[in-house]
Amino acid sequence: MAFSSTRRQRGATYEIQRGYRRMIIPALVAVSVFAIVPLAGMFGLAFSDYHLIRGSEGRFGFHNFVRLISDGRLMGSVYVMAILSIFGVVAQVLIGTAVAVGLQKIVGRWRMGRVLFLVPYAVPHVAVALIWLSLFTPTLSPINAFFDIFGITVPSFLTTQNGAMFAIVVADTWTNFPFSMLIILAALQGISPDLDEAAALDGATRIKTFFYITLPLLMPALLMITLFRFIDSLKHFPMIFVITKGGPGRSTQATNFYAYVQTFQNSNVAYGAAIAVTLFLMAALISFYVAKLNQRVSS
Amino acid sequence: MIDNSSAFRVKKALGLFMMFSLLAFAAMPTLWVLILSIREQSAVFQPIWESPLAVTLENFLSIGRSDFPRALLNSFITAGTATVLAMIVGVPAGFALAKARLSGKFIASWILLLLRMAPPVGFVIPLFITYVNAGLIDTYTGLIFAYMTLTLPLITWSMWNSFSQIPDELIEAAIMDGASLTKAFALVAVPAARPGVVAAAILGFLVAWNDFFFALIITRSSTTTAPVAVMNFISYDSVDWASIAVASIALTLPILPLMAIANRYIVQSLSGAVKG
Repeated sequence: MAFSSTRRQRGATYEIQRGYRRMIIPALVAVSVFAIVPLAGMFGLAFSDYHLIRGSEGRFGFHNFVRLISDGRLMGSVYVMAILSIFGVVAQVLIGTAVAVGLQKIVGRWRMGRVLFLVPYAVPHVAVALIWLSLFTPTLSPINAFFDIFGITVPSFLTTQNGAMFAIVVADTWTNFPFSMLIILAALQGISPDLDEAAALDGATRIKTFFYITLPLLMPALLMITLFRFIDSLKHFPMIFVITKGGPGRSTQATNFYAYVQTFQNSNVAYGAAIAVTLFLMAALISFYVAKLNQRVSS
Repeated sequence: MIDNSSAFRVKKALGLFMMFSLLAFAAMPTLWVLILSIREQSAVFQPIWESPLAVTLENFLSIGRSDFPRALLNSFITAGTATVLAMIVGVPAGFALAKARLSGKFIASWILLLLRMAPPVGFVIPLFITYVNAGLIDTYTGLIFAYMTLTLPLITWSMWNSFSQIPDELIEAAIMDGASLTKAFALVAVPAARPGVVAAAILGFLVAWNDFFFALIITRSSTTTAPVAVMNFISYDSVDWASIAVASIALTLPILPLMAIANRYIVQSLSGAVKG
């Protein structure tokens, strides 16, 4: 009897594992159809000479990637992307941490005030971009009008490369700092208040406590935010499309935007795909690292 | 004693000033849009304090008469359908990935992450060419398929995280009691992970609702979504700022209650690993 029951159990376990597999298959099929196939298409196009209007002459090879290496505009776009990413991520982490640390002290009736800080995160990116475009338009902006009272003329940011990049970073930071804030708030809640008290008893100042106790404990959260925000900033599109249109001139075309310009404005589909492949490989590297990190932290 | 020192007061004042600046940074643009949305068209370019009473509801009424509500409806239909479809497929998959003894889980997690992180321009180029040939440009089907590339990896990933937090014993006990795997999933696991299920659905809807890029490229006038339709208020010679403000409010309002529900779970669902 015992024997047969083990066998039945083993059979049941097998049955269950098969059941699990059946649950994954639809997703596997869907992911393949909706994501893997287009990605394969992107790789294929990147090696072709497909042109949106002229079509293809059947050339197949590395010519797009050879062109990539010597493309000055691509290097310029990587520079823009790097600046936008670095300044955006730093600003979002700093502001998110500051707000989270400040909010954590607020208890009781004013706790609901937290929701106010979430509003920017709820605004869709196109709207964010349009709102900040209005704030950076000198004839419209209330900021300019306010400083005009004191006879101060606020410079027109969107007419220089640095000013335009600054505008994009501000808009990006405004809508995304609540993401850092949420993650840091959650991480702060996981830190025992005993640690702060013990440090205070040992005579540490509040600033020292923050830098030597709280901050090291926040490191995993900060790393996670940095990676997620960095990867998102590789995808910059609506902000650039709406606020600067890539300008002045071509000076704020980040790589993702440059791929769009090559594909849909210059009709160079194959070359656009090659740029997209390059970006994709970068994202693949970073996401591999994130997946490893996730595996380590969760186990 | 220390509390009365001027150094402390300066620090406190500095802290307050910083908090106030951050609050201003967070709140000012929102206030500005609310004000802009009720300004009379003729007063839009005047400083607020010069004509504080030039207030009207006409901007809201004129948006109501435009094509914009239709675009909002398109957004609801496509983002909603893409979310529901991805939930049907992604929730069981997330459950199985969390609980099954499988090899290749790491690869699966990497692929899901990568799909979420891959630049959309990579997806959109082949989709665009396929759609042109298949006649899917400017159709709901085409846009919903495109949105599946956004919603499915996100929902599967976050459900995987949510189900991982449910003890294995719960599922095992249900199966020991004679429940089939499907029943254990539907009647035990899903109710136990309900906050995660809600958060996943909301997150999925948010990414599709926020999309600008896909809709810009694969829709034209009839299935255009609200984020793309806002751009119609910008023409060559003028920008209708008041309407843009109203449209921005219309784009954000449906999201706010979702955010209020989900903000506690967003963190866990997005990363799942920050608790350290």
